[in-house]
Amino acid sequence: MDYPLLHVLHRDVEKQFCLRYMKIGLFVPCYVDALYPEVGVATYKLLRHYGLDVDYPEKQTCCGQPMGNAGFQTMAHQLVENYDALFQKYDYVVAPSASCAAYVRFFHPDITNHACKAAAKTMDVVEFLHDVLKVDKVPGRFPHKVSVHNSCHGVRELGLSSPSERNIAPFSKIKDLLGLVEGITVMEPERPDECCGFGGMFSVEEPDVSTRMGTEKVNRHIATGAEYVTGPDSSCLMHMQGVAKRQGLPIKFIHIVEILAAGL
Amino acid sequence: MSTKHSLAAEKFIQDSNRVTRHDQTFWSVRAKRDAQAHDLSEWEDLREAASQIKKHTVTHLADYLQKFEENATRNGVHVHWAKDAAEYNDIVMQILTEHQVHKVVKSKSMLTEECHLNEHLEKHGIEVVETDLGERILQMMKLAPSHIVMPAIHITREQVGHCFEEQIQSEKGNYDPTYLTRCARYHLRDNFMTAECGMTGANFGIAETGDVVVCTNEGNADMSTSVPKLHIVSMGLEKLIPNYEAMGVFHRLLARCGTGQATTVYTSHFRKPRPGGEMHIILVDNGRSSILGDEEHWQTLKCMRCGACMNTCPVYRRSGGYSYTYFIPGPIGINLGMLKDRNANYHNVSACTLCCSCDNVCPVKVDLSTQIYRWRQRLDSWGKANSMKKAMSKGMKLMFEHPALYGTALKMAPMANILPRWMTNVRMNAWAKGHEMPEFAKKSFHAQWKDLKKGGQK
Amino acid sequence: MSTKEEILNRLRANVRETYDMPDLGFAKTTHDDPVAKFIETATTTAGARLIEVKPEDDLNELIRQAYPEAKVVSSNVPGIRADRNPDEVACAQDLDGTDVGVIKGEVACAENACVWIPQTMKEKAICFIAEYLVLIVSKKNIVSNMHEAYERIQFNDYGFGTFISGPSKTADIEQSLVYGAQAARGMTILLTE
Repeated sequence: MDYPLLHVLHRDVEKQFCLRYMKIGLFVPCYVDALYPEVGVATYKLLRHYGLDVDYPEKQTCCGQPMGNAGFQTMAHQLVENYDALFQKYDYVVAPSASCAAYVRFFHPDITNHACKAAAKTMDVVEFLHDVLKVDKVPGRFPHKVSVHNSCHGVRELGLSSPSERNIAPFSKIKDLLGLVEGITVMEPERPDECCGFGGMFSVEEPDVSTRMGTEKVNRHIATGAEYVTGPDSSCLMHMQGVAKRQGLPIKFIHIVEILAAGL
Repeated sequence: MSTKHSLAAEKFIQDSNRVTRHDQTFWSVRAKRDAQAHDLSEWEDLREAASQIKKHTVTHLADYLQKFEENATRNGVHVHWAKDAAEYNDIVMQILTEHQVHKVVKSKSMLTEECHLNEHLEKHGIEVVETDLGERILQMMKLAPSHIVMPAIHITREQVGHCFEEQIQSEKGNYDPTYLTRCARYHLRDNFMTAECGMTGANFGIAETGDVVVCTNEGNADMSTSVPKLHIVSMGLEKLIPNYEAMGVFHRLLARCGTGQATTVYTSHFRKPRPGGEMHIILVDNGRSSILGDEEHWQTLKCMRCGACMNTCPVYRRSGGYSYTYFIPGPIGINLGMLKDRNANYHNVSACTLCCSCDNVCPVKVDLSTQIYRWRQRLDSWGKANSMKKAMSKGMKLMFEHPALYGTALKMAPMANILPRWMTNVRMNAWAKGHEMPEFAKKSFHAQWKDLKKGGQK
Repeated sequence: MSTKEEILNRLRANVRETYDMPDLGFAKTTHDDPVAKFIETATTTAGARLIEVKPEDDLNELIRQAYPEAKVVSSNVPGIRADRNPDEVACAQDLDGTDVGVIKGEVACAENACVWIPQTMKEKAICFIAEYLVLIVSKKNIVSNMHEAYERIQFNDYGFGTFISGPSKTADIEQSLVYGAQAARGMTILLTE
């Protein structure tokens, strides 16, 4: 005989058991800390909502990516060691920033020349919710039309969605999660994963190309008819917001976690 | 201290319509490539196979080259070895002199661009006629290619028309591409009939048989080699593949990646000289054997020059081929330029957002963006780092290594006076050129944490 | 030390780690009806005309109907009426001015309309110099993909062969597709049983 309900229940019990004992380190990258603390707050509230034990080690600062991408990876060495020391005691480290999570996971071991315990356990909040918690409900209600910003490192390093260049079965963890939000309409722009032109210090070293790319990207988001651009990287959103504001382009920006946690 | 690329890009971008045209042209090629890639269920297997075949071949290159030479020689082909551009140019000149050649018809070869062959031959009184339409247009206009597969795509039909009016007496004011292509056809046909030598590059060399494979859409390599009796092939060492089984893999990838076609129109396999003719293959090193020894960059030797990384590169599409200091632009050009001459070409290393799209289109999986990241790490030790970026990084190091200092910076009011300088560099005004400043939160996450924790534990 | 030795020595010295040739046994796309697929690709993306030859058809008549204005036909294919023969001309230049060249293909590939033309004539220029090209291909020789095509192709003593897929093309002027860049301006495939 088949007991579908029992199966669900069993899975849920198992999940609850694991979650109760899981300890999460919250990593709020430097620029989110200073510019978009509401994104950190939403992440914290959302993780608590799922019953997780969340800690925020206060000595954290930056993952080192700004220096690395600029060509000064060696200057990030101490930061990386600090990060590893600070976060290795947690079961998972969760960050509301795909690019920072990718940098930690894929670049930290090269910088220190040793395996980094914390790096291996660091995840972006989207993949954590999707792959580890496997959430099928989110608290947020967001009766708006949004355009998804598939940021490069989210797509091509972390695999949050299938890169448009590859012939693999299409998927999007971002759209999966947004699909759980009540009232939302989810769009994607034309050229759904073309770079917005931020690139960290690229935006100050090649300001003209960066601005041109940002302008095109914002206009493609606007063309979907969306009220908001949303994505897993506040850095891309910051860049596009700066460009949009300068040119008076009519669209708002919001981190995905703020939508998922709306109302908490 | 802006890079030459960023300065040239600034100029290029001033003509907004041109940028749009350039971007859309290459994006459409990328879109055609995507359609081809999604049409073949074994696409990713092909890429992986191609990458592994190239890794295998370049790490056994000495053996394969010897095998190739043996087989080609047995087929009656003369094989020459050139360690650098000078030796290569001399060998070509020597062959041409022996055959009393006055005019050479040439199909597109990036290697001859790399070695500046045309200038060398012209200096010695040889007439060199490029026969790929795009290359011929550029040659007549005295311009360099701006892309390795579509070299003249940045030239408008009106510009081509004006050039043809002046140089090959086309009808005044007729800018129809079909008409202009016809004019070039008749003009080039005359040259095919009178040249004494045809030169081609090589897309592939097959070690097992000694064959050279050349791919074109126009048939110009075939016209160049089926009328003149003398055929000279210029081939970079890395063009070798083991056998025809491998050739099947590369054939299916090359045109699909390069132009979004399932094949080039012509895929010609040269094994022996034609009746009564002579065939020479010049194997050119010009730095390639040293690249093999570079642990971080040896995989550039896998490249088969399809141009897909340029087409997908968002920076290339918006800055144009001439913004780069090396004759090969885009992601592969940034890397090859640095390997060739880092002092001349470090200017291109800034032309990358690290979006990694190039890594995903590359048919042989060259780790293009990782390599660009690595070059950036080395610039400082060569004194070529951007001083502004270095100062910013130093500032960040100081601040981020000291949580107390970072905490103070976060708390200081008004923070906007302290932090933006580190984070967005208002002082140099580069960010502010195209962006409004982000606004700093009144209370950072750090500052909110304790209250949040209290609330969250309830 | 010769240049060759110098290069080979440096290559050998610079290898740190060697890699094996991969297994190429992954599944490759095949077509249930390669003939139908070939007809589709040849007449769409490749830009050729294609005539399915019935047993009672006369090839010479089909060629005449396809190119009624042709004055000079060049071919060495047995049974084809031609004004010039690439085996007999003194030099390749003598084939210039050919309106229609008629040649035979040995292997045809459904995925991309490539037809393997081994050199079977003294002057291979016939394959490229003609204004229009007629390719005679048998349905029996159509394979699905290039892996199969490369298994089948044969070289003869001339030591040259080429895959041709449709007429010569260029898009070098503002990406406008133009047929007939340097070689054939148009192609007709005569598909025989």
